[in-house]
Amino acid sequence: MLRQVDTTDRPPAGAARFDIAREDLDERTCVIAVGGDLDLSSAPQLKWMLLDALEEGHGRLVLDLSRATFMDSTALGVMIGVNRSLSLGARLAIAGARHNVLNIFELSGMDGAFAMFGTLEEALAYVRGDAAEDR
Amino acid sequence: MARRTSEPRAPSRLSSRVAAAVLLACCALLLLAAPIAVARTSHSGHSQQGGDPSQTPPVAEPAAPAPVTAPVPGPAPVPPQPTQAEGGGRHGAGRESPAGSPRQRHAGARQQAAAQATSTAGQGAAAADQSTSSQPQAATGQAPSTSSASADSAPGSLTHRREERERHNKEERERHKEEALRHKEAKKAERSDESSKPGEEGSSSPEQVAEDTQGASALATPAPSGAVATIASSSSSRAPVTTSTPSVAGVSQQAVDGHRTRVARRPRTSRTHARTTNARGLTTAAAAASAAPALALRTTAHTGHGGSSGGGSRATKKPTTSSPLVTTITKIVGVVPTPIRVLIAVLAALALALAVRSRFSAARARRLERQRGQLLEDVGLLQAALLPVAPERLGPVGTSAAYKPADGPGAGGDFYDVFALEDGQLAVIVGDVSGHGRHALPHTALLRFTLRAYLEAGLSPRDAVQTAGAVLDRQLGGQFATVVAATYNPRERLLVYACAGHPAPMVLGARSDASTIEPVTASSSPPIGVGMRTGIRQTTVSVPGRAQVCFYTDGVTEARVGTELFGAERLRGTLAELGTGASAVAVLDGVVERADAHPDDMAACLLRVEGGEDPPEVILEELELDRDSAGSRRTERFLLACGVERDELAEVIHAARAAAGRDGTAVLECNHAQGAPHVTLRREHLRYLHVPRTEVEVSR
Repeated sequence: MLRQVDTTDRPPAGAARFDIAREDLDERTCVIAVGGDLDLSSAPQLKWMLLDALEEGHGRLVLDLSRATFMDSTALGVMIGVNRSLSLGARLAIAGARHNVLNIFELSGMDGAFAMFGTLEEALAYVRGDAAEDR
Repeated sequence: MARRTSEPRAPSRLSSRVAAAVLLACCALLLLAAPIAVARTSHSGHSQQGGDPSQTPPVAEPAAPAPVTAPVPGPAPVPPQPTQAEGGGRHGAGRESPAGSPRQRHAGARQQAAAQATSTAGQGAAAADQSTSSQPQAATGQAPSTSSASADSAPGSLTHRREERERHNKEERERHKEEALRHKEAKKAERSDESSKPGEEGSSSPEQVAEDTQGASALATPAPSGAVATIASSSSSRAPVTTSTPSVAGVSQQAVDGHRTRVARRPRTSRTHARTTNARGLTTAAAAASAAPALALRTTAHTGHGGSSGGGSRATKKPTTSSPLVTTITKIVGVVPTPIRVLIAVLAALALALAVRSRFSAARARRLERQRGQLLEDVGLLQAALLPVAPERLGPVGTSAAYKPADGPGAGGDFYDVFALEDGQLAVIVGDVSGHGRHALPHTALLRFTLRAYLEAGLSPRDAVQTAGAVLDRQLGGQFATVVAATYNPRERLLVYACAGHPAPMVLGARSDASTIEPVTASSSPPIGVGMRTGIRQTTVSVPGRAQVCFYTDGVTEARVGTELFGAERLRGTLAELGTGASAVAVLDGVVERADAHPDDMAACLLRVEGGEDPPEVILEELELDRDSAGSRRTERFLLACGVERDELAEVIHAARAAAGRDGTAVLECNHAQGAPHVTLRREHLRYLHVPRTEVEVSR
């Protein structure tokens, strides 16, 4: 039993804990929430989650980063790629990013490329076209 | 990997080749030996019958002339003689008798006239008997006829010969002709020998007698030595035509060859002996024995004196010399049954196939190795083009660069360049194309050389990045790249850099507290290739004292320590620990040492600036604005980060908007040189550039 706890609860070095969940609010709007570290190993999951949602017709995407502990350039690259592939009328908003994650956006100069909001509500309002982005 | 796999393969290939070669050699030997041995079986059989091989060695040189003379007497007599010899010595004696008898008769007449040397002839006959005693074949019937005719020839003249021939014509014309010719030849030889070597007679007489008698025995020997005598006579009479009958030579030569040398040297003595023998008239048989071979031997001697020497007789002699080996092989081959021979043939074919195959595979391996070497060379050249060896020093600044790919030895998405500019400045480029590995290589090269060209053309780092971003935005095929371009002016001790989505260089002063500059990160330029206007920010750092400037890619700060990122703070600690003399290689090694993993490529480029203790400081921050960005929150954040008071924001932004609206773009300069920030607006000069921003517009 003890051994089981040891092996399952402690992540190996370099492999951070990561979880991702998707919630469809309506037929066009969905929220994808990410917890843990967004890095080289978890970035592909984020990429396919976002692309699947877009393909299923969800043109109003909110990426909730409130539980994300940090983000590296790979994950940023995924977001840049998805942002570029948005079709006309589709919107992607980033909500609730913590300071260190915001810093990544700022340092990379990509804070101007995304619609970033402090709260999930602001982000939802933006993707639904109810609110202008705040840059 | 390729090398590792190829190395163990080589010995196995070698061993298989060796094995194949050995097998092939064995099979080839067997296959080749078989026919030869079979062919020689007859020779060896004859040689066993005809005489002991031990006699042959001394013959070698004098025997040689014999075949050359062969054509002279004519080939006519040849056919019957081989058949005699092959048919067996004992019967040959019987057949020989007709040829011998006329001659012998003639010789008998002459001998009576000569009347001498019978005793020696008798001794010679005895010797011949002894020497040939191993073949106790009985040609008894022959003896009388030959003995009756034995008187002949040694001293005979040409007229004598003609008479003889007439007689023979009556009895047997062809035979007679042959013999006559032979006699003629012998005569000539005799004469020439006599004239050339008159003085040898006495000393060599016993040997000569033995020879003569041996030869004589061929014609006239009594019962016990008959068979050998036949062989000998056939050989001696055939001597002139030896070349045309090699198979017989092996047999008969033995009997004669051993003595031919001496005969050739002392033809006269033999002749003398013959005469003397005849003169004494002791034994007609003995006389005949001496006479007939004497003629024959003289013939060979004559030819020998004729000066022509050939390998024919030697060649015919050879088979007998190797007879033990040949015999052994013959025995072995003789017992091998046909299926085994077939098997050997199949094995030989198999070995041949293996040898051919191994040869081909070896050639292929060599070709692959050569290609691999060429590829490695090419890769090395390409890598050198992307990751140049940084000079150790550019002017007063020490420089170094290092690269550590995440996987494999090849270049990946990171790139760097350090080079001198014409005006005494030096330039640094460090970048990272999204993704890593070989797929990033083309864009890596494109970016590096584009940026380098703009910097060498004299553009400021920001202008270079902005221009490159504008030009290359759509050429990266969906990828994007982060870059930092920098120049350092040693005279003014000013470092100017512009980033595009890239971490700013770390500038550490000389002080022990490892103070670093704190550049403004707000409103940073986005990477190249994301469809946004980039190259909008530039920072100028004054480096009055000793300092180290570390450009790096995010692979360094995103290395892992446990579950955390390595981060800028750990990098700063590593730099401070290594000191200002550290090289880029040492820095990356330090990072690898401290980190648990580095999942991305890492590149670092270090400048070492000499000087005092004065710490470096940021003196100027620039932000280029356009109509859209002038009033944005990012501009506000930038101004706030530069130390502009919040109540001054509105005024500055208003002015900036106005300037950008008028000229399209405007540059905000925030000067920290005098402590308090001093903000100025200046007009932008790069307005002619097309700046892509459509996609970003759509996404909004």
